[in-house]
Amino acid sequence: MALVSFMDESLIKVELEVESQNELFQMMFQEAYKKGYVKDTYLEKIKEREAIFPTGLCMSDYSVAIPHTDPEHVIEQFIAVATLKKPVTFSLMEDSTKTTDVHVVLMLGLNQPHSQIEVLQELMQVIQIKENVLGMIHAKSEQEILGIFGNINSAMIGGD
Amino acid sequence: MIDLNRASVLVACGAGIATSTVVMDHLEELFKKENLDVLLVQCKIAEVASLQSEAALIVSTTILPTSYVTPALNAAPYISGIGMEELDKEIIGYLKAYLNTSTVKM
Repeated sequence: MALVSFMDESLIKVELEVESQNELFQMMFQEAYKKGYVKDTYLEKIKEREAIFPTGLCMSDYSVAIPHTDPEHVIEQFIAVATLKKPVTFSLMEDSTKTTDVHVVLMLGLNQPHSQIEVLQELMQVIQIKENVLGMIHAKSEQEILGIFGNINSAMIGGD
Repeated sequence: MIDLNRASVLVACGAGIATSTVVMDHLEELFKKENLDVLLVQCKIAEVASLQSEAALIVSTTILPTSYVTPALNAAPYISGIGMEELDKEIIGYLKAYLNTSTVKM
């Protein structure tokens, strides 16, 4: 359940329409900045980081991206989510010469590196389980997305 | 700092904060299970160049910006969940071989 405490409905965007990665970052940043989660430097830094160390992850038949940057640009920790109407191209984390079309973006604002393991593990469960990601892609509301994140632990215990 | 009498593994990602934390946790469990006494050091990929000389292995979730003297493995499977077991085996195999050769030397 740790994951949900990092989430804020206003930082979830469903069926967002953007033309580029820059526009996507801009829109996600705006809301986080307005709410005081990040410093004004966050946007530039997240773009820089993504260009050098990309965060696209290609799973078996879907892709996600987890853009994030150095802790000093984060005021309050958060996980922002955007599902995209039209996919945005990200380079792969392990190989920047390859790209993937991403439908779900989880933007991370972390500033306490070592106390985060539970949250990060839950996050990995979210992105590694196909049903979760498909659920997000098909979600029509912010509450639906929150519901998926809220169910992570119980789904794991009750499921396989 | 790094203890020279113990094998150490550098665990790196871009910011040294998110994905490397997941890998750290996974490797701690793995080494415990395999009974390997290995020191894990979490760092940013930019710090790897200056830390590598004392490490047995570099494990990075992100692309390597340069080539290193110390062998490096890509840890993206621990994030995507695809190919985790193969990578576990590769890391364990490498470290066991490394520890054997260093014991012979000493």
